[in-house]
Amino acid sequence: MVPLSWYLVLSAVLFTLGAVGLFVKRNIISIFMCIELMLNAVNLSLVAFSSFLKHLDGQLFVFMVMVVAAAEAGVGLALIISVFRNRESVDIDKLNLLKM
Amino acid sequence: MMTLLLQTSVLDINYVAIWPMIILSISGIAVLLFGIAKDPVHRDMSMIGIVGFVLAGVATGRLWLPVKTVGQIRAFSNMVIIDHFSLYFFFIFIIIGLLTLLISASFLEAERLPVGEFYSLVMFAVVGMMLMAAAGHLVMIFLGLEIASISTYALAGYRRNDLRSNESAIKYFVLGSAATAFLLYGMALIYGATGSAELEGIRTAIIDNVNAATKQPVHTELLFLGAAMMLVGFSFKVSAVPFHLWTPDVYEGAPSSVTAFMATASKAAAFAAFLRVFVFCFVPGYGQGLHSAWTTSLETIAILTMIAGNIAALTQHNFKRMLAYSSIAHAGYALVGLIADDWQAVAFYLLTYSITNIGAFGLITYLAGRGDRETEIDDLAGLGFNNLGVSIAMLILLLSLAGIPLTAGFMGKFIVFKAAWQKGFHVAVIVAVVTSAVSVYYYLRPMVIMFFRELKVEPKRLPLPTGVLVTVVLSILGTFYLGVMPGRLFQAMENAKVSFVQSR
Amino acid sequence: MNGQEILSYVPILMMFLVSLAIATGMVVSSSLFGQKVKSREKLMPYECGKDPVGSARERFSVKFYMVALMFILFDIEAIFFVPWAVVFRKMAEVYSKAFVFLEMLVFIAVLLVGYIYVWKKGILDWK
Repeated sequence: MVPLSWYLVLSAVLFTLGAVGLFVKRNIISIFMCIELMLNAVNLSLVAFSSFLKHLDGQLFVFMVMVVAAAEAGVGLALIISVFRNRESVDIDKLNLLKM
Repeated sequence: MMTLLLQTSVLDINYVAIWPMIILSISGIAVLLFGIAKDPVHRDMSMIGIVGFVLAGVATGRLWLPVKTVGQIRAFSNMVIIDHFSLYFFFIFIIIGLLTLLISASFLEAERLPVGEFYSLVMFAVVGMMLMAAAGHLVMIFLGLEIASISTYALAGYRRNDLRSNESAIKYFVLGSAATAFLLYGMALIYGATGSAELEGIRTAIIDNVNAATKQPVHTELLFLGAAMMLVGFSFKVSAVPFHLWTPDVYEGAPSSVTAFMATASKAAAFAAFLRVFVFCFVPGYGQGLHSAWTTSLETIAILTMIAGNIAALTQHNFKRMLAYSSIAHAGYALVGLIADDWQAVAFYLLTYSITNIGAFGLITYLAGRGDRETEIDDLAGLGFNNLGVSIAMLILLLSLAGIPLTAGFMGKFIVFKAAWQKGFHVAVIVAVVTSAVSVYYYLRPMVIMFFRELKVEPKRLPLPTGVLVTVVLSILGTFYLGVMPGRLFQAMENAKVSFVQSR
Repeated sequence: MNGQEILSYVPILMMFLVSLAIATGMVVSSSLFGQKVKSREKLMPYECGKDPVGSARERFSVKFYMVALMFILFDIEAIFFVPWAVVFRKMAEVYSKAFVFLEMLVFIAVLLVGYIYVWKKGILDWK
């Protein structure tokens, strides 16, 4: 039996990788994948908790997160495509029309 | 697993409780389908949208009295809690949604953008916000937040061929999703620590210090970590410093009417969920100092937000960007109410702020003209000479945002600051008062430019569209009503104080 | 693992067998009864007309993306059928079976609206 903490550590590591990638990556698609990684790291935590607590709400949560992630992917990729059509580039550094 | 599932209570399906959301969803779908008809008539779609919002408002109003007698209505196995708190926020969202439709009609027509999708996205976003305000379960907060956010991402990028709109949408999308991920991680950890994802269950687990599922003591480290993560996520959503960097860019690039919607309704919704989780669940005196931990960190965040927002607003040249920083500062003021554990003050503040801001942005959509371009403050030069009515309206709304007495802004700030002062947050209140005084400068600058600077080129502005006119008139009336006689409304809210924390 | 527990996996085994049978049946029947067109495009590895040889770093038509996205969205919605199916009996004890079934029909109707929207917007139109 794998203890709960292992799952939690793995999930935290994945989440951190995603969060770091978010700041390091320059390609919008990669950034988008980092966000998906973060969401799925959370899913892992939720499933682990759900199994540990013998409580089903965590599983329900994961269902919702998966569906929402798909919807987010739909809108996000559509936005990326519209940026690419206008600029021929998906580099986040080139999105500098509005000053930071 | 199987047996576990069967033990859970049977869904108490109660459509009456979610009638406002159902009405809005159906009318949103109707508008969407109308929009893909052969020759969609703009007027018809506006009509469906307006009727949808009005009916949703009526449905919300009809829930007020039943809630008054029972205290709160719970539906769908505690997923949805309808109490006066949620009904109050429903009203804010419905009013803002309706006014957003009104101010965007002429803009959509001028830009030849598809109308049906815009209206339905606004309506779906409002449904999401309502779910956030009425959430009784972490899943519901997450779902509501995402319904609202995803619709707003699409709205921010609504001008598909405009580079600024694209950029705004991408930035909003990336940072918004990252914030959601943080929030979600916080939810997962809190779920693990307390053994319940229901807000009521979390609250009881923290008060009794018993994990609801394992019957062990609550795991404090996980709880704190989860609360911190949720704090980060919500701070992003309400654009509090240091998580505010997206706000100016997104607000500047998005179409003005969408900015109006984001700056008011989205912010109010984030605050509603913030209040639900932090004020309702993380109660004082329990959870090994969880309450004092979050109030202290939020106090710091609020002080930073007020200072940074107001100071950055001083140096802006773009009107929308200035209002974006102003909205950051206003989030700081609302946070001052939040740390005082006083939802009435925060909700009242958000109402005053939203009512005022939607009018100001309504005027911006008009003044920005073709292509939503003329949003520099200097573009207002000479407006006082050639359009006195608009400039006086703008003057009133900006004074209300600055918090001058007799306006809604003053009343909102007064109530929030009073609540926080009584709870002993003296530093935060002093900073708030000082920064409000500073803010008068940047709110008055557009005035000076409007009335005292010569007009360079005669701008070709169309007559004020009816939708914008109605919005601005309503917004000004609301500003004065809330500023001069907020007594009745506040009394109604005071009576509702109990229902928020009432346990079943 | 005792015998009782192993028995409880029999439905899963049956599901595998049935899906295997359906898949085999479809392939076999289409190769038996289907009409065969042997044009150049049909015999290519990717029937959509993409050239399998050559640079992989070229731009695709946005239509592929559209269809893929529609597939993801409609595919993931099916996830909600599972919990509904699990609680169906339990809920039918409290509410009527027809009501619980109707609830799912409402969900499907909402999906259908999305489908109609996609259709009318011409996303499925490849001309």
